[in-house]
Amino acid sequence: MKKRLVLFLALMLTLVTGVSALTTTTASAASDNSLAKVQKKGTLVMGTSPDYPPYEFQATVHGKTKIVGMDVAVGQKIAKDLGVKLVVKSMSFDSLLVALQTGKVDMVISGMNPTPARRKNVDFTHTYYQGGYSIVINKSDKGIYKDKDSFVGKTIGAQTGSTMYNESKKQTSGTTVKGMTSVSDLILALQSHKIQGVAMEKPSAQAYVANNKELAAIPSHFDLSASDTSASAAFAKGSTSLVKAANKSVDQIKKQDLVNKDYLPAAGKYLKTNTVNTSMLHYWKAFLTGVEYTLIITVCSVFFGFILGVLLSLARMARGGVFKTALRWLATAYVEFIRGTPMMVQVMFVYFGLGLIVNLPALTSGIIAISLNSGAYIAEYIRGGINSVDDGQTEAARSLGMSSGATMRYVVLPQALKNIWPSLGNEFITLIKDSSIVSIIGVSELIFQSNIVRSDTYRGVAPIAVIMVIYFVLTFTASRLLNYFERRMQHD
Amino acid sequence: MTKPIIEVKNLAKHFGDNQVLKDITEQVNPGQVIVVIGPSGGGKSTFLRCLNLLEHPSSGEVDFAGEDLTTLDDKRVNELREQMGMVFQGFNLFPNMTVLENIKLAPMKVKHVDDATATKQAHELLKQVNLDDHADAFPTSLSGGQAQRVAIARALAMDPKVMLFDEPTSALDPEMVGEVLNVMQELAKQGMTMVVVTHEMGFAKSVADRVWFMADGYIQENNTPDEFFSNPQTDRAKDFLSKILM
Repeated sequence: MKKRLVLFLALMLTLVTGVSALTTTTASAASDNSLAKVQKKGTLVMGTSPDYPPYEFQATVHGKTKIVGMDVAVGQKIAKDLGVKLVVKSMSFDSLLVALQTGKVDMVISGMNPTPARRKNVDFTHTYYQGGYSIVINKSDKGIYKDKDSFVGKTIGAQTGSTMYNESKKQTSGTTVKGMTSVSDLILALQSHKIQGVAMEKPSAQAYVANNKELAAIPSHFDLSASDTSASAAFAKGSTSLVKAANKSVDQIKKQDLVNKDYLPAAGKYLKTNTVNTSMLHYWKAFLTGVEYTLIITVCSVFFGFILGVLLSLARMARGGVFKTALRWLATAYVEFIRGTPMMVQVMFVYFGLGLIVNLPALTSGIIAISLNSGAYIAEYIRGGINSVDDGQTEAARSLGMSSGATMRYVVLPQALKNIWPSLGNEFITLIKDSSIVSIIGVSELIFQSNIVRSDTYRGVAPIAVIMVIYFVLTFTASRLLNYFERRMQHD
Repeated sequence: MTKPIIEVKNLAKHFGDNQVLKDITEQVNPGQVIVVIGPSGGGKSTFLRCLNLLEHPSSGEVDFAGEDLTTLDDKRVNELREQMGMVFQGFNLFPNMTVLENIKLAPMKVKHVDDATATKQAHELLKQVNLDDHADAFPTSLSGGQAQRVAIARALAMDPKVMLFDEPTSALDPEMVGEVLNVMQELAKQGMTMVVVTHEMGFAKSVADRVWFMADGYIQENNTPDEFFSNPQTDRAKDFLSKILM
């Protein structure tokens, strides 16, 4: 099915659950009231990864972007039957199950198939849709390839770690299987003849073929068990009452064949309106949102990171009693730890790990994580800057009766700041680019937005080119501004 | 007999194994100009820096206006430091501030003087050192002599009772030494208590009330300039004078 439990996610889950073994146990023990809880709050929060038409994707409706697709229709049906309002929250597929476990969302519907591995961590409803696999090829090759067995000596692409990927490896011989993380990248590789076919689910294949005249779909003839091709809604482990209620809706959907009769045709209509105008200009609002969030994250993180950096650098230079030594050790340990772990892991840890204690929105979590990260680096710059200021400056200020604090604030720090301004500028520009990491927790910054535009328009390169230019404009403007202030500070 | 403003008792200072000051006991009376001379490495600068606790003595007392600095907390030390202006060999002006801002900083941040008053006082001090036309210049655009005069004005802005000079002319080109010494001489005439570490023997002869000759971590001689220069008592002083006097 769609995507997979990556080893990384599994590790993350283990870590998160391990850290909070107690919290999780109490949560699952008390989750018999899961249905009552949702009904009491009046909303059902659905997590989904909207880059997988026609299951779920973003469409522009009356000038506004919203998440649509057959999974959203399923979610709406469940919410309606429960008598609550559906709230759709988008995030990367990898983060969905963790979000469910940590209570960020109540339910996950994202073309997810109920594999035994997933069943260990979450509860699934009955299957609401039974799909199958197709292979998408270039229309010009239509006579050459018939099914999975026609690709001897050729290459088939599939999403890395997905069931399609595993089955393609297992059920073909003499065929190279190439894995990529996103379907739009695979289609791009197909069109540039790097691969000869892409294995994907039937509805997706149909959507791609319908929207791209260069492509054609052929049956895969993979030998598959039902659970490999089915899609279910996932709920937190132990929320029996909620799953039971949702199953009523799912059973109705199956009985009345609502997916094929209503949901898929409706999704197809959105797909059409979506692809009427695939020019990048049409999506300027999506990119603007991306720029907005990228800037919010960067500016906030530099601001808080700077304050944290000043405090950390002062703590690292503290000398004296037991308390000051402890402070110095703590600050040093913090800086070393942050610099020695990937920012991506830190972002996920803040969002999911801290999320067990306080429920922070993704944007706030992103800003916190990047501030914490940036603070460690800025602390080192500031420490270097302070050391670069001549001791005579401190002595002069102290001889005038200024306290060590006032000396630091009025005499040393301003000069240190001037000395490290170019490094701070670099940090700022790096952050503009690195803020893209928060896309994994679903903050709609530039990378996240571009991925959505890519899957909406079936255009692989144009959105990348657009954000490349946008990033450059942002960083270039920032570096000009920083240079201007650097010149203003030059007195010697 | 007036009470001494600075009284040093059994002062010693070592850096690791290096004993720089060994048991110094001296006093400075209000209005006195003390010139500390002696060979390089004799501990003159360290001694001066012990007076306002820029260096913390290893043992002994440094009394300022009756209070032993070595026993006081940071806050009280800061308060007493206000009353001891210090001028450094390397000027140590704040390069990121104009001349005027350099002078105004401490009065405004330490004494909480308002901006207008501080500005007015700074201009008066700059007139006193003949540099009012450079009020808005940045330190890097000044010559050494000008920078040192600004540094003196900056120290005077805190209205100190004592001024400490640490080789104030050693970093200057010869033609600029005079302008700085003139300002110092003027200050001495106005009755400022001064402790000056210097190699300017002319200044010592004409301005000092007492000359302290310092070598090997001790003050070897404490005498009037006339007596010291004409009739040095110790071999160490004789040797020193024979090397520097023409």
